[in-house]
Amino acid sequence: MRFMLLLKYDEAAQAATPPDPAMFEEMGRFNTAMVDAGVLLAGEGLMPSAQGSVVAFDGEEPTVSDGPFTEAKELVGGFWILKVDSLQEAVSWARRAPFRHGERLEVRRVSEPEDFEDIAPPEVMEQEEQLRARAAEQHGQ
Amino acid sequence: MRYMLIMQAPESMAVEQAGGVPPAEVFEAMGRYNHDLVEAGVLLAAEGLTPSAEGFVVTHDGESATVTDGPFTEAKELVAGFWILEVASREEAVQWARRCPIGPGVRLEVRRVGELAEFEGVAPTEVLDAEATLRRRIAEREAERHQS
Repeated sequence: MRFMLLLKYDEAAQAATPPDPAMFEEMGRFNTAMVDAGVLLAGEGLMPSAQGSVVAFDGEEPTVSDGPFTEAKELVGGFWILKVDSLQEAVSWARRAPFRHGERLEVRRVSEPEDFEDIAPPEVMEQEEQLRARAAEQHGQ
Repeated sequence: MRYMLIMQAPESMAVEQAGGVPPAEVFEAMGRYNHDLVEAGVLLAAEGLTPSAEGFVVTHDGESATVTDGPFTEAKELVAGFWILEVASREEAVQWARRCPIGPGVRLEVRRVGELAEFEGVAPTEVLDAEATLRRRIAEREAERHQS
């Protein structure tokens, strides 16, 4: 099973605190532990929302607003994707994450093709599998 | 530059539950969109998330971590899935986001993904080196997994 750990944090509060070198070291140790255990598939951090935009699909045409997203109480700050045997294993990794300032980790199961077997047309599922393989080849994975 | 498109939607809009458009059409439209992304050579990764009833939240506040089971009923909208694109500019990322075949009430957050080089001078060099090594180890392991 794959699980996504989504880091949710308060961007305004975080901006007031300068990055702490010790935090990078703790995060490095946490990442190393996950790679050593063979569970980490991917992990990325996102830049401040000032460098982003929101596209809202509410009317005929999508509307675009540029960041920062000041009205949002919580933003996604980054994520990890883990391959584990159970939900409990995902919970224990999430508990070990080196955060201590009110950050929340939302842990969500990532869908697998089997989840859509009776919902999506089979040809769409097959095409999806081919697209994954092509995208992996294009970017040298 | 890498950008992440984060789909945020009320959970009631999940394709299995949404009234109106037949699920097959929704999947076909999304399949065409993903196809166009791959044709353009910009798609790095994309995944969908299952309902929050299968998830949980871990809150870290100092001493301990507390765990709360899903569903996250108090949340107005939740992350439903994401795409990561390799593009030349923020405008290109926004253009792809605008083309996404999703219905009213859905938002796509477009966020730039951090690159290791940007943390030079902020994070200790040995931490950045270790991070680069970890990424290589993951890539090698995945390559082996695909070959076997």
